Amino acid sequence: MVVVVRRDVQAVLLILIGGALLRISLTDMYLRYVKDGLRPALLAAGVILLVVGLISVVRDGIQRRAEEPAAAHASAEATGPAEGHVAEPADEGGHGHDHSAGPRAAWLLCLPVLALFLIAPPALGSYTASRSDNVVAKPAAASNDAGFPALPPGDPLPMTLADFLIRSVWDTTAPLKDRNVQLTGFVTPGKAPGTWYVTRMVISCCAADAFARKIEVHGVAAPPTDSWVSVTGRWLPNGQIQADDAMPALTATRVDHIPTPREPYE
Amino acid sequence: MTIMFEKSAPPRPAAAARTAPPPPRSAESSATVGSASHGRPPAERWRPGQLEFFVLALVVLLFAQPWIVDRLGAPAVQTWATVFVAISVQALPFLVLGTLLSAAITAFVPPSVFTKVLPRRQSLAVPVAGAAGAILPGCECASVPVASGLMARGVAPAAALAFLLSSPAINPIVLTATAVAFPKQPEMVLARFVASLGTAVLMGWLWARFGRPEWIKVMRRPHDHGGNGKWENFRLALQHDFLHAGGFLVIGALTAATLNVTVPKHVIDAVSGSPWFAVLALAFLAVVLAVCSEADAFVAASLIGFSPTAKLAFMVVGPMVDVKLIALQSGTFGRGFAARFSSATFVVAIVASYGVGWWLL
Repeated sequence: MVVVVRRDVQAVLLILIGGALLRISLTDMYLRYVKDGLRPALLAAGVILLVVGLISVVRDGIQRRAEEPAAAHASAEATGPAEGHVAEPADEGGHGHDHSAGPRAAWLLCLPVLALFLIAPPALGSYTASRSDNVVAKPAAASNDAGFPALPPGDPLPMTLADFLIRSVWDTTAPLKDRNVQLTGFVTPGKAPGTWYVTRMVISCCAADAFARKIEVHGVAAPPTDSWVSVTGRWLPNGQIQADDAMPALTATRVDHIPTPREPYE
Repeated sequence: MTIMFEKSAPPRPAAAARTAPPPPRSAESSATVGSASHGRPPAERWRPGQLEFFVLALVVLLFAQPWIVDRLGAPAVQTWATVFVAISVQALPFLVLGTLLSAAITAFVPPSVFTKVLPRRQSLAVPVAGAAGAILPGCECASVPVASGLMARGVAPAAALAFLLSSPAINPIVLTATAVAFPKQPEMVLARFVASLGTAVLMGWLWARFGRPEWIKVMRRPHDHGGNGKWENFRLALQHDFLHAGGFLVIGALTAATLNVTVPKHVIDAVSGSPWFAVLALAFLAVVLAVCSEADAFVAASLIGFSPTAKLAFMVVGPMVDVKLIALQSGTFGRGFAARFSSATFVVAIVASYGVGWWLL
């Protein structure tokens, strides 16, 4: 039993949703859910919804309230089912001939707004990562004659997890041998007790399509789950090569706690 | 719960606390707002209405936030919430774009334009509308309101439906994403284009031949009585269409997030070995995951171990049939329509994927 949404409440809904979109895209919060590139679209959608909502407040809320007698409001509300009985056809958007009532389903738009403002869901972390395995597709450089370019200089060399995975799994010249590298990610506990992975989630569009990149870390005890760390160490050849579901490893010499990066996904 | 206010009682704090207790789930809260707001029929003077209770419930929720967050700390719940919010946030700009276009079509484009542009014969209008899908840049959330707007302007349902199916799959953004996701298989882009357009046109023709007008529930929009200007009509159509489709988008996002978090990945992996079953499995996965059509190529590419035909089926079915779309279509065209149309499209899309996969991949 959900009641139709009145015009003035519709306006508040629009403002809420527009405001929520602006709120997350004016800060870095949107990066927990979607890619950087969606930001202009989020801002534009937020502004449009906010403007339409504000116009509606003026036109439907204030003007209509002033113009129409209170009886009109009361009849709009009376369409609500008192004992599970619907006064008008139960189809969605059904508003009979009462123009101030809107689609019932619109109430549901409160849910994402409430979730954002009340729960502020964090970026995906170890829970999702532990349910996802590495996918290291064979890169083009592994099959052509030119092969991989040389690794840049640097000691330690900062690398993305994607780079480390591809170089350790598919680069047959083993360029990571005897190199100090630095990886950044969050902590996911391993399947066996005491083991852990430095992890990044990867998203292509939004958090619904996320998968994990994981590298097993040896030599240093596991920091707290989901904390962000910078791991310095050397590649530990463990036979995990030439396979797209490989799980390479690293012997860490130091592990530093770092703040959560601006962009949690890789 | 039934709380009846006497004629003009203002909302007292005590009553407010009872009306909107800080619930563990926000779903209940909006239901509470709804059920609390219809008090008693015609009152003469001002009394607390929907707006007042709505705002009150929001304020109560705001203060109960720490309590709620404590209750929702479990990792599975948080992951669910993240995925739910992510799907909603990702889809909302496209829904706004779609409803803007739809409202503009309804308010500014006279019906005669479409009868001039589209061939009169339905069997010809369907492929033209299907190919026109290539110009709407966006994912599937935008296409449903636009198709609805086209129908409202007198475009034959068969043609509007071909447009509905083809536009999320064959527009330049999606095809570019596919090319990027499959750098070593440019034929995948062609296969996707052919299979998607083929499915859309075939479904349009099937609808023209077997479809019945009464299967589509025409959405009742706020219609003007001649007194409103064009811009006012535009705003009303936009507001109505967005709120309506948005509500159903949330249903889809709820379903997709739940399946996303609960369907174990190894169940899907287990079927990758059998070539025939793999196609069905990925088609089914496309329906339950409801990945946006601009991203599904990357997801398909990451499904290592599956045949190219199975990945193609994932990309052909996904933009045409998924839980989010079924919810949107049910809301826009009625449940009966969504059930018939989605199941038929699912079958046709799989057959097209098999055929094109055998031919091109």
